[in-house]
Amino acid sequence: MVRLSDLHPEEAAGMLAAASRFGDIDHEATPWITPPPLAESTICLVTSAALHRRDDVPFRFGDSGYRLIPDDIEPNDLVQSQVSVNFDRTHYQRDMNVVLPIDRLHELHEAGEIGGVSTMHFSVQGASPNAKTFEASAADMANRMRELGVDAAMLAPV
Amino acid sequence: MISHYLQRNGIPTTTISLIREHTEYARQPRALWVPFPLGRPFGVADDPDFQRDVLRSALRLLETATEPTIEDYPHDAPDGGGDGVWSCSIQLPEPELSDLEDALRSEVDLLTPWYEEARRRRGRTTVGISGAQPEEIDKVVSFIVAIAEGSGFKEIPVSAQGPKWNHPFPMLVRFVVEDLRAFYQEAVTSQEGTKPPSQHDMHSWIFDKTALGRAIIQIGHQIAADDEQRLKMIRGLIVPEGFWKGGVSWGQAPPGEERINFIIRSRAYLAGEEG
Repeated sequence: MVRLSDLHPEEAAGMLAAASRFGDIDHEATPWITPPPLAESTICLVTSAALHRRDDVPFRFGDSGYRLIPDDIEPNDLVQSQVSVNFDRTHYQRDMNVVLPIDRLHELHEAGEIGGVSTMHFSVQGASPNAKTFEASAADMANRMRELGVDAAMLAPV
Repeated sequence: MISHYLQRNGIPTTTISLIREHTEYARQPRALWVPFPLGRPFGVADDPDFQRDVLRSALRLLETATEPTIEDYPHDAPDGGGDGVWSCSIQLPEPELSDLEDALRSEVDLLTPWYEEARRRRGRTTVGISGAQPEEIDKVVSFIVAIAEGSGFKEIPVSAQGPKWNHPFPMLVRFVVEDLRAFYQEAVTSQEGTKPPSQHDMHSWIFDKTALGRAIIQIGHQIAADDEQRLKMIRGLIVPEGFWKGGVSWGQAPPGEERINFIIRSRAYLAGEEG
């Protein structure tokens, strides 16, 4: 797990249809940039699990916006408006760190392996039919990250 | 895609990859492909050492990669993905033996102490995405029964008035179902020392053994009977592929139309933004 051949054929076909759109992006237009050494870098998380605070605006289908998740969020304040039924939720229901490893980041910071943990993390809704719609919100996210002193972003899908 | 856009705006990125083919197309700057089930990017619940190792491996690419890189994480999830590790220890009545609402309410009553135990022990619940509070689970049941019995896909059923429902139709149906599924899943994985099941085993239990599964399938039949072709996509969001006996769960695009275009064309309808 997980290659497309591991999935139900219809699910795999949907995944492939989405993936084929990724080829539309001009990869050459992305510059190669590096952060300071990890031990000096402040890291934020970006999840595509459509997590958000209970009283925040839920993600709508195809929503290309993002939601902020405070680093000190109470786990009970997190809910998930991801539309897909095709991924595991039982592990996340037991332990948010399997999707959003905030506690693990802090342990790496305490061990001196990373320089800091952002006071905010970011959440988007993956499974978008058109990933290009994220271009504007990603630019806005990058601005917010700079304001927060973030040196690098750790992205994780579900 | 987001990693490209973040880097173009000055933020270096590293990413977990769950589906290798996606990453091969997307060619993110730095990706750690992990051989874990979908939904579990950091491997497994309640194993901080393992999660930290995955996180550290992905972060290290920020220092070691010098060009776009896909690195393969060398370890499988400690539970091997979870197939066959779980069986439900809570005895439920036969789901087909009584009226749907009675059957569903009996199950919910039986599961409530387990759900409360899980909530107390974990200090959290994921129930509530539909807008109903965990304490309003009886209204979640009323909603699902009404939709399963044909109240339609446009208005809140009279029996389910009360909660501050948080999504418009038809997507609301998907999130109400998800809330009751989360209630069941949290209840039956509440016992300490047990490993959670794989997604496939959990779905198999729900659809083979519970009145919840019976209710979801009955909603699927209501969708099948509806003239709105785009509504079929909601079925694909409540019944995983492989569990809808009548064929393809999500209904498929009309002949001659590409799948992705059908989905994009239907987005506003599904999100409840269409007049």
